[in-house]
This record gives sequence, structure tokens and C-alpha cells, in this order.
Amino acid sequence: MALVLILLPILAGCALFALPRGDRLWSRVIGCAVAALTFELPLLVGNDGAFAVRWLSRPFTASLHFAWSGVSLWLVLLLALCTFCAIVATNVAQTRTLIALLLLLEGTMMGVFTARDILAFALFWDLMLIPPFFALVEWGTHRETAWRFLIYNFSGGLTLLLATAAFGILSGSTDVIGSTHQFAGSWAPWIFAGFAFAFAVKTPLWPLHTWMPATYADSPPPMVAVISAVQSKAGLYGFIVIALPCLRTAMADWRWLIIALALVSLLYGAFIALTQTDTKRIVAYSSLSHLGLIVLAIASFNPVALQGAVVYIVAHGLFSAALFLILGYMEEREETRSISKLGGIGANNPKLAGAFTIAALAALGLPGLAGFAGEIVILTGVFKAGYLWPALIALVPIVIASAYMLRLLQDAINGPVIATLPQRRDLTFAEALAVAPLLAALLFIGIYPHAILTAVLR
Amino acid sequence: MRPDLLPVALANYVGLASVIFFIGVAGVVVRRNPLIMLMSIELMWNAANLLFLAFARAWLNNAGHIFAFLVITVAAAEAAIGLAIVVVVFRSRANVDVDEVALMKG
Amino acid sequence: MGIDGAYPLLFVIWLVPLAGAIVNWAFGPQLKRSATIIGSAAIGIPFVATLMAWNAATQSSGAAVGAHQNLFSWMPGFDFGLLLDPLSLIWALIITGVGFLIHAYSVGYMWSDSAIARFFAYMNFFVFAMLTLVLSDNFVGLLVGWGLVGLASYFLIGFWFFKPVAVAAARKAFVINVVGDVAIMFAIFMMFAKIGSITFANVFAHVGALDGWLFWTCLFLFIGAAAKSAQIPLHTWLPDAMEGPTPVSALIHAATMVTAGVYLVARCWPLWNASHSAQLLVGTIGGLTALAGALLGIAQWDIKRILAYSTMSQIGYMIMGVGVGAYQAGVAHFFTHAFFKACLFLGAGIVIHELADEQDIRRMGGMRSRAPVAFFAMFAAVLAISGFPGFAGFFSKDQVVFGALEHGHPWLYAVGIVTAGITAYYMFRLFFVTFFGTYRGDVDPEHEPARGESHAPAWIMALPVAILGIFSVIAGYAMIGSNPPWSRLFAHTFPSENLPPVAIGEGWTTAILFVVMAAGIAIAYARYATPVALANAPARLRLESERMPAVLVRLFYFDDVIDWLFVKPSLALGRFFGSWFDPDFIDGAVRGLVTLSTELAAVVRYFQNGLLRSYALIVVFGAACFAIYYALQGTVR
Repeated sequence: MALVLILLPILAGCALFALPRGDRLWSRVIGCAVAALTFELPLLVGNDGAFAVRWLSRPFTASLHFAWSGVSLWLVLLLALCTFCAIVATNVAQTRTLIALLLLLEGTMMGVFTARDILAFALFWDLMLIPPFFALVEWGTHRETAWRFLIYNFSGGLTLLLATAAFGILSGSTDVIGSTHQFAGSWAPWIFAGFAFAFAVKTPLWPLHTWMPATYADSPPPMVAVISAVQSKAGLYGFIVIALPCLRTAMADWRWLIIALALVSLLYGAFIALTQTDTKRIVAYSSLSHLGLIVLAIASFNPVALQGAVVYIVAHGLFSAALFLILGYMEEREETRSISKLGGIGANNPKLAGAFTIAALAALGLPGLAGFAGEIVILTGVFKAGYLWPALIALVPIVIASAYMLRLLQDAINGPVIATLPQRRDLTFAEALAVAPLLAALLFIGIYPHAILTAVLR
Repeated sequence: MRPDLLPVALANYVGLASVIFFIGVAGVVVRRNPLIMLMSIELMWNAANLLFLAFARAWLNNAGHIFAFLVITVAAAEAAIGLAIVVVVFRSRANVDVDEVALMKG
Repeated sequence: MGIDGAYPLLFVIWLVPLAGAIVNWAFGPQLKRSATIIGSAAIGIPFVATLMAWNAATQSSGAAVGAHQNLFSWMPGFDFGLLLDPLSLIWALIITGVGFLIHAYSVGYMWSDSAIARFFAYMNFFVFAMLTLVLSDNFVGLLVGWGLVGLASYFLIGFWFFKPVAVAAARKAFVINVVGDVAIMFAIFMMFAKIGSITFANVFAHVGALDGWLFWTCLFLFIGAAAKSAQIPLHTWLPDAMEGPTPVSALIHAATMVTAGVYLVARCWPLWNASHSAQLLVGTIGGLTALAGALLGIAQWDIKRILAYSTMSQIGYMIMGVGVGAYQAGVAHFFTHAFFKACLFLGAGIVIHELADEQDIRRMGGMRSRAPVAFFAMFAAVLAISGFPGFAGFFSKDQVVFGALEHGHPWLYAVGIVTAGITAYYMFRLFFVTFFGTYRGDVDPEHEPARGESHAPAWIMALPVAILGIFSVIAGYAMIGSNPPWSRLFAHTFPSENLPPVAIGEGWTTAILFVVMAAGIAIAYARYATPVALANAPARLRLESERMPAVLVRLFYFDDVIDWLFVKPSLALGRFFGSWFDPDFIDGAVRGLVTLSTELAAVVRYFQNGLLRSYALIVVFGAACFAIYYALQGTVR
């Protein structure tokens, strides 16, 4: 069944190109249906949907082995949900093409998240970079951004592939995700470095992040919602399912470096977000900060922190998707992303303002929403693992986050109305439908985060 | 090796093939007309074919024959594509000097 | 801590305000002013339910230990539950009881505001959040409530979101409160790591396990308490928070939310009792805040800001009380303060309403005749806050100040006495300047309110103020006698100690406090209420505002220091990273790699000249090299 998750969106995405260029209705209907199906499928199928065929026998054994379980189930669901919301929210010129790209992105990323074989993982890793690239080429304002995204991430893909090959040759098989296989030896640090570089670029981790703000600012909102919410999690997922179990000793040797980089990301992203004026860049840098927290959790080797990391991965996916979609709505209405030119949206657009408020509050870690649950459990675990100072330092960005998120929120929705455009309208039904599930999930996970873990530990 | 199977000494085949091959090489390097260049390439293919057949006969191994057929097929395909390119280029610039067709230079 | 069992009434207390908030929020545009009924009922019902739940709990257990209801496991190791013990009972009663009166008052105060339903939604949400805070049986649940009351406070301070000042004040309040939130978070890390649990019962049963971390746990908990309760140096948000509507100031920034710090310290008394240095720290900060708030209160002219600083000062007393170990006294002062401070704010609200939103007491005067109910109620409340014998504040303040001496802190005792004098002075200053003399502003007494066409009946605002005024007199009688109800209630909650007798007895303390208070009132009378002073009031007030010491006008420079130490460096760092370091240095390195590859490509592209024949020649050359190589080797393998 896992194969269906991968092939269905890819085939549907290809099929959409057969529709006329200007189509808006059917592409949305098909896109929503496919995304909804991929969301339902893992829930309806009782088992882990495993599918496996032998792919290579020499020089090492590799399989086309896909399944969902534990963390990957949550990422699959998050991906399907975010894709659904992004498709519902799609409202650009050439809707059909964007939806097709979103479906292709979903299919390839399903491959990443369900792969049980590192080689298949690496294959889909590279494939998932293609749709955002074309979206950037088509809708971005600078061609350079597209190339920067592609080359930066492909360089990660290259080290990933090299590390995979070395891993396969030295350990005999790459079909190891989800097993208890551990790899050690003189090559292990280098193999880990290859994996870690790819994951760090994708996450991103300071100082490998400079592709990210431009990409997030330049992509069409539905695409950036999926990229920031789910694609950035591929790196973290890699750390959790490949680096952590398979290269445990090597990762333990490097952990102080990773913790240091995670802390720098946390602080650095937060400080920059404090002074940016472009709405999407504020959220982009806040992502750098928030994802640093998850890397910190993973590098602390503590089960409590890891539980928190899973919760926070889902939480961050939900609120960053919601934030980028909402910023897209505002950009479309106001035709600007500069917070100094925004203001007073709350007066005439209560629904938009309300949705934005919930998303921003989740991002700044308000208790009762999902972000808080992740943060506190992660840091409890990090502290319990004996990292006193990292846990203390990681609290600083939480305070700064409240400052920059409120700045973004208040400058946009509060204050006197700055009417740049004569007509303002509140959220349409489709726009509200796109963010409602994300916000509802944020609330639910915030109140009962245990639900996620129950499934992970199942 | 049985001499009755190979009335002409193997060295002669090798020599002839070398001569044909180098005529082909010289043609490709020296001439600027793509048609002549294609024909020169054909010469090189056939030099190789001659060797395949000669050695197949000499060593009684059919692989050489099979390869000769393969080469003929590939050569035919190559000639077809090459000629098509020539026709397209000729159409667009009314001139088929290969030195002038240099759009792809770095 | 509480008898385990099923207590459905606890859910009623906890969730009815939330339901009210949701209904008012979702159907606000349809409900309009009917939202006030739902909003008030959503607070009145929990008040009754609290009393009923307490009765049920005491009857079933036979003693005043309380009720405990398990909820669910939030995360592995984080179990949530509801707890109604004497401490949370007192808070819940004040939140819902005083909260109900303030809701009723708001019906009149917000009558002509078009967003009245949104106002009641936020107020209900606040009550829900505050109840989450006090009913929670563990630190994480408390922290959830802690954060949510901060959010409600943020919404309500910035309720008039078109006013930039209000928006800025809301942001400031929220960010400073997040400092407190993360401090509590850190304390939770320590407790979870050392004790392995976050429920009050487990933590307090294993205080010893914290050993070396005990002081730090206390310190971080107290940073949280200080941020929420406006203790030095995290107090600067509270005066700014007065930008919100006056009922908000009464409920959130006087009676309930800002006392959460007192609740936290009182709740965690086993931690404080185990760490003498933490007690000293908390008591000292409380005493300093009491003094600083009182001094700053002298220099203010805005009626709500004077009350804000007096709130800060009174909470300083409470913190001092619970800090030195006089837990019952600190909580008692919270109890009486809730009444008289809410009464003061609501009375001030009537005055402000009467004068078309004027808040500067220099432009008031003679309000005795124009707002008689406010005059009498506030008179009672001013006497109560000053500690006049027989009024509510007298009993509790007396206990706090004496408690400081009893627990061995003579300096804090002295600070408490001095502050009591200053309090009497600035509160009577407020009272005299506002209500005596002649009116100095320019609002026509017969004016119609500018902001709306219709008026709520006047009694709807007057009645709650009158009730609170009555409670400002009688609330203290729960604490007197040989075995007062107050002590009986807390008999099983706080430790009973036998303290050594002190040099100055309780009777003498009362006498000293009375003398100091009388001196304060006398000075205020001489300066503001003698016939001469009243006759020259405008000129004298102008002179006074010109001669006000800069250190008081600039609020002891706390805002400037915080700005200079934290805000400016953060912004500078952000700008440095964002506009130079990130684009030029880090990305410069990345672009340097790109330039390097381009340079390498320039070398290689020399060979890609596009001449087909030269490519062929290179191929031939390469082939020749191979041939020569193998010829020299002599064999082809």
C-alpha cells in the first residue's frame, strides 16, 4: 500500500498536465481528492502498508522497500494534510501547473518518508527537490533563487548518495531503516558526515541556511507552505531514522558540534527575525530558530527529548504551513510583504486576523497549542540528559520569539487601517477551509499531545 | 590456427583495416563538409567490421559476426541521425560548414 | 493534597467560563449586548459551583483538605488533574466572585462599545485561564494557565487595537510575561530531572531530592512569579497595562492575575521552607517592590497609574509575606486586597466614565457630588488600603508586617512600616484631589456620553462598586479572634510553627502602623485638602508636577535600563546578523564557492571552442596516447 502513496500523487500530477492550461476547477478537485486519499489511506489500512522488492544485489543489497510506521506515519499524515491545504489554498495564475507540482512534490516526499532503504531514500530525496525548483522558476521573481535552492540542496543530495554508497558497500545492505542495524568502524564518522551534511542543508542548520530565506520568500505560498512545513522535516527525519539508530556511535562523537550548531541556529534565527521587515522572511528565520530546537533534541540522545521532537515536528509543520498560507492571503490582498506597509487588517477581516493570531501564537509557543507541548518536552528531556546550559540558552529564543511574532502579528492586524487597496475582503470559504484543519490540529495536539506518541510507540 | 581456413594471412586484414581506419580519421579531422565527415566515420566503422570478421574467422568465434551486425545497425542509425541533423542545419543556415556550427561552445 | 475522587463540579467551575468565551466569540456579532448575560452567567455559575464543590469535598473528607480529580496523561510523565484545596479555593472564589461583580459592572462600562461581545469573550477566557492556573494539580498545568492568562491579558490590554499605545503596552506585557513563563519552564526541568514528576504532591513530598538544585528551582519559580506579579525588576509592564478598559485593570491587573505570583509562592511553600536563601530573596524583592511602588505612586497623575503602582506595592507586601514564611498573612492580604483594589478601580472607572475618559486627576476635583457612590465606596477602600483599623486591609497588612519581624527580618519589618505611611499619603492624595474642591476640567456636568447613543442604567455600575466597598470593610473579620475561620481553613495547608517571641509585640506593631498611617493621611490632608490648598488647587498642582523629582518621573529608570540592557542590544544584534553577517559573510562564503567554480570553468571552457574538428583531433590525440602507452608496455591485456 505504501507504493500507492507514492505513485498515486505522481501519476495524478502527471495527468494534470493533460488538462488545459487555464483549468482551475478540475485540477483542484483532482488534487484535493488525491491528497485526501493519501491522508485517509494510512488511517484506513491497519498495518504498516509494507511493500518490498529486491532492487540491487551487487555491490550491496538494496530493496525498493516502503512502509509507514512510527515517526514516518506522522510525517506521511502531515504531508498529506499540508498538501491538501496547500491545494485548497492555491490561487495563482496557472493553478493547474502549481497543483500538478504540488502533487509531484507530495509523491516524491512520500517516497522519502516511507522508504525503508537508504538508497531509495536518497533517490526520492533528490527527486523531491525538482518540483519546488520549477515552482521557483515559474512564479519566483529571481531566477537565481531557483538555482540557489537546487544546487545547494543537490550538493546535500550528493553527499547523501556518496554516504549511502559507502554505507551499502561497507555494511552489505542499505535496507536498514527501522531495523536495529548499527554501523561502526573507521569509516563511520565520514559516512555520518555525509548524511549529516545533507540533512543539515535541508533542515536547515546554521551556517548552511542561506538558501532558505530567499526560497521561502520567493516561492508561491502553497508551495512554500509544503516546503517549510514538511520538506524541511526530511532532514530531521533523516537524523531520527538513519543517523540516530544506524550511526549512533559516530553521531555521539559529533554531538557537541551538532548541539553547538543547533544553539547557534536557535539564537541566530531569532535575532534576525526580530529585525526583518519582510513578513515571509520573518517566518523563514523563525523556522531556522525552531528547527534548531528539534536538532538539539535529537542530538541530546534522550528519549523524552525525542518524544518532544516528534511532537514539535508535527507542530512546526502545522503552524508554519498555516503561517505561510495566511501570509500569502495577506500578500494577495495588500500586494506587499513589508510589515511597515501593513496594518489594521483586524478591523475589516476578523477571520483572517483570528486565523493569523492562532497560528502566530502557536509559533511563539503559547501553552495550550502544539508548539508549547513540543518545546517543554524537548527541553525537559535535554535538561534531563545533563545539558544544563543548552537547555538554559534554548529558553532565550522563546522569549525573543514572542517579541518577533507579536511584532509581525500586531503590525499586520492591529493599529490604524492602512488602506493600500480600496477593496478588502475577509477569507473566502476555500481560504478558510485551507487553514482550518491546520489550526484545529494545532489545538488538538496542544491539548492532548499524547495522541501522537501513542501512535509512535504503537 | 588452421591456415586452410584463412587463405590470406591475418596481418593483411589488420593492415588493410588500419589503412581504411586512418583514412577515415584523416577525413574527419581535415574535411569541413559534414557529409564527407559522415562518410569518413562510415569508413572507420567498416574498418572495425573488417577486423571483427577477420578475427572471428581466424578464431572460429561467432561473437565477431554478431558484433559486425550490431555495428552495421548502429552505423545505419548514426548515419540517419547525422543526415537528419545536417538537413536541419542546412535548412536554417543554408550552409553546412561544421566550423560555423559552434553555438554550443563554452 | 486533596482527596482523590470524581468531582463533576470541578469541571463545571473550570469549563463553564470557557464555554461562555466560545459562545461569545463565535456568535458575538449576533449576540451583541445579550453577550453580557451569557458572559456574566458564565462567571456566576462557577462561583456557586465552587462553593458547592467545597462543601461536597469537606463533607466527604470531614476536614478542609480539598478535592482532587485526575484528568488525563498529557505526555508520558506529565499527568494532569484538578485540585481544589483551601489555597485554590480562596483564589477560585475571588476569581469568580469578584470576577462576577466586575463582569456585571462591565455591562454598564462597555455598553456603548460595538465590540462588547468580544470583550466578554476575552473576559470569560481570562477567567477560564486563571481557573486553569489555580485549579491545576501540577506545574505544567499551572504553566499552561500561566501562559493563557498572559494571553488574555494581552488581548484585553490591546482591546482597543486601533490605539498604538495600547498595542505597544500589550506587546510589552506579553513579552515580559514570557520571560516569567520560560523561567517557570526551567524550574520544571529541574524538578522533572531530579524528582521525575511534575505534580505538586510528588514534588513537595520529595523536596530533598532537589538537593543542590533547590535554590535554583526556587529562584526560577520566583522569576516567573515576579514577572506575573510585577515585582522588581520585571514590573514595568503593569503601569502600561492600564491602557486597557478599566474593568480589565480591576479584574486582571489588580484583583486576580497579578496575584498569581503570590499563589505560586504560597503553593510551593515546601520548597521555600527548605531554602532559607530563597526565602530571603523573595522577601527582600517583595519589600523593595512594596517600597518602590509606593514611592512611584506619589509621582503619578493618571488615576489608573496611581492605582497600578499601588497594586504593585500591595503585591509587594503579599510577596514579602509569603516570602518570609508568613503564608497565611500573605494570602490574607491577597484576599482583602482583591476587594478594596477592585473597588478602587471600579470607582475610578465611574469617575472616568463620568468625565468622558479623562484620567488625569489634575483635571478632576469635586467629584464627591458628581459620583457619590464612587465617593463612599472608594473612601472605604482607601481606608482599607491604608490600613485604617477596622477596615479589611488593616488586619492583613498588620499580619504581613508583623510576620516579617516574627520570621526574623527586622529590615523588612521597617520597610513595611515606612511603606504603610507612604501608602496612606498617596492614596489620600488621590482621594482628596479627585473628590474634594471644585471641578478643574472642562467636561459639562450635564454632558451626554459621546461614544454611544444609549446608556445602561446607572445602578448596574454602582451596585458592584457598593458591594465591593462593603467587602472592603468586612473582609478582614475572617482573620480576627482567637481561632479565626481563616486559620481554621488553612490549618492543614500551611505548616504551623512555634516562633520565638519578638522584641516588639503585635500590639505595638499595630500601634506603630497606626501612627505612621495617621501621619501619612495628615500630610496628604495638609497638602491637598485644607481650605487654602483647595482654593489654590490648580496652581499648586501645576507647581507640584513641575517640581516632581526626575528620578520618580522617570520611574527609577527601570524602563531605560531594560531598554539599554536587553532591547537595544537584541535589535542591534539582529540588524548586524540580518543585514551584514548573513548576506555578506555566510552567504558571501557560499557565493565565494560559486565564484571559484566559475573561475575554474573559465579555464575548462577554453577547450570547448565549438569546433567539431578540433574535438575530433583531441580524440585522436587521446587515442594515440593510449596506443603509444600500450605499445611501450608491449602488451594489451
